[in-house]
Amino acid sequence: MAAWTRRRRIPVSRIVVLTLFLIFVLAPLYWVFVTSIKPSDDYLAVPPVWFPDHPTMVHFTAALFDYRGLQGLVNSLIISISATALSCLVGTLMAYSLARFNTGGQHLSFWVLSQRFLPPIAIILPLFLNYRLIGLQDTHIGMILAYTVFTLPVGVWMMYAYFRQMPRSLEEAALVDGCTRWGAMWSVGIPLAAPGIVAAAVFIFIACWTEFFFALVLTSRNAFTLPTVFRSFLSFQGAQYGEASALAIVSLVPSIILGVLVQKHLVRGLTLGAIRG
Amino acid sequence: MADVALGETPPSIPRRNLPSASRSDRRFKWLLVAPAALLILAISIYPLIFSIWVLFVNYDFQIPGHAFVGLKNFEQVVSDPVARYSLLVTVVLTVSNVLIELLLGLAVAMVMARSFRGRGLIISILIVPLFISPVVVGQAWALLLQRPFGPTNYLLGQLLGQEVTIGWLTQFPYNFIALVLADVWQWTPFMFVILLAGLTAIPPHVYEAAELDGVGAWQTFWHITIPYISPMILLAVTFRLLDAIRLFDTIFIMTGGGPGTQTYTASFYLYTIGFAQFHLSRATAGSWIFLILTLLVIIFLVRRLLKPEAN
Repeated sequence: MAAWTRRRRIPVSRIVVLTLFLIFVLAPLYWVFVTSIKPSDDYLAVPPVWFPDHPTMVHFTAALFDYRGLQGLVNSLIISISATALSCLVGTLMAYSLARFNTGGQHLSFWVLSQRFLPPIAIILPLFLNYRLIGLQDTHIGMILAYTVFTLPVGVWMMYAYFRQMPRSLEEAALVDGCTRWGAMWSVGIPLAAPGIVAAAVFIFIACWTEFFFALVLTSRNAFTLPTVFRSFLSFQGAQYGEASALAIVSLVPSIILGVLVQKHLVRGLTLGAIRG
Repeated sequence: MADVALGETPPSIPRRNLPSASRSDRRFKWLLVAPAALLILAISIYPLIFSIWVLFVNYDFQIPGHAFVGLKNFEQVVSDPVARYSLLVTVVLTVSNVLIELLLGLAVAMVMARSFRGRGLIISILIVPLFISPVVVGQAWALLLQRPFGPTNYLLGQLLGQEVTIGWLTQFPYNFIALVLADVWQWTPFMFVILLAGLTAIPPHVYEAAELDGVGAWQTFWHITIPYISPMILLAVTFRLLDAIRLFDTIFIMTGGGPGTQTYTASFYLYTIGFAQFHLSRATAGSWIFLILTLLVIIFLVRRLLKPEAN
């Protein structure tokens, strides 16, 4: 479309659409940010306080220490990082096999893909019952395993698409040079795919970091993650605006930074490699 | 280049004679697949199979032994008016969310398709909602809308010149509008990003030819732009639909399903009977019904997506 019209100026209607949409996107973020640094006295002022005269950090300390936000944060980090590592490892191996040997034909790859579209509510009840039976309920291991499986379709399909567009010739050269299959994969194939693996890892991490439903059901006092801490603000009507906002900031800043960093892989990530952006 | 490749068979590159024996190759390829496949079997498939047994018994933590009850669990779900109502809410919310997101995402993608100064920065801002937990999104919109704290009623009051006291999270139909707002805010960027990739992949000479022939802007849009990006539209809508029917997180945070059961979606309903009332078998039966309905949608949509003539 770039060369469609030669006019240099952007029509006014476009500027209006874009400005309105930008305001729509930024308004909630701004309000959360302002609320997180607003003294409690400013909450109910009319007209609303658009920016506090005396910004404060008390809500952050309260959210982290009084509402166990810190433990949620630490749990989220442990669970998300471990699940990302595990999911990337087994996902990359599977993707390599699917791409290089067409293992299991289309059936296997689509079986993995279908997992992406299973409604979580359909799996969560039986998973919950089984976790209770074998003692994985409310444990970090249980959450790591659940998140690994729930992110596998993304990892496998992103890496599958990545390996397929990588030439085989270098790995084949390594085989001719006397490498084993295993050696050719570890020392040639996977290092060449490193950019794709990093991008997949970031998307998997964000998926784990932001997940709520599994954590809500499978954890309680021990392995609860950051998103589940927001439950604490539901029962008390009104007084915890600042704490909720502070916790929201703590949750959204890391994933936004990571997401924007891998922006150029976004289309591949969102469509599991189906569209190469 | 942006092209839809889902379901495309890998290009068949003629394999040269490789030194390694084919039998060890075969063992190797299955060995690589095994860990991931075993994990999926253990965490996802096994529980599903286990739950088939749960369907036909009365599974209760309080009562030892699990009495066989036949189809009673199914009957209880099917005869529950709240179950049917929650399914209706799911369909209505899903369709309105995805439709609004598609139209708005397409409009913004059209605006952003041409390059201009600051375009990269604006794209980076527009995609931010995709990286935020839906719980946080729900919390943010609750803060914006909630009475008396949120600024929304105040701003509307200034705009209309009279006092506005809408209970955005408790009052019909505003609670539904609030839920749609949160969903549209989070997922319009999804449509936008995919459709933008489609729009920028349209070769410029197509538009130049249309311009030379004197084709109007609307005609160009309907007869060139839309057909070109229709595979992306189909893919984006499929992915969104299958996620939208799970709607749970924002409901949990914003309305809690209320008032009463007014904003129950299928997922929220099943969660409530399973984990608040602990009717585990009944919830499992409901989950299976929901799963089968979802599978029908998946088969219908994914089939179309995989059709080679989609472009």
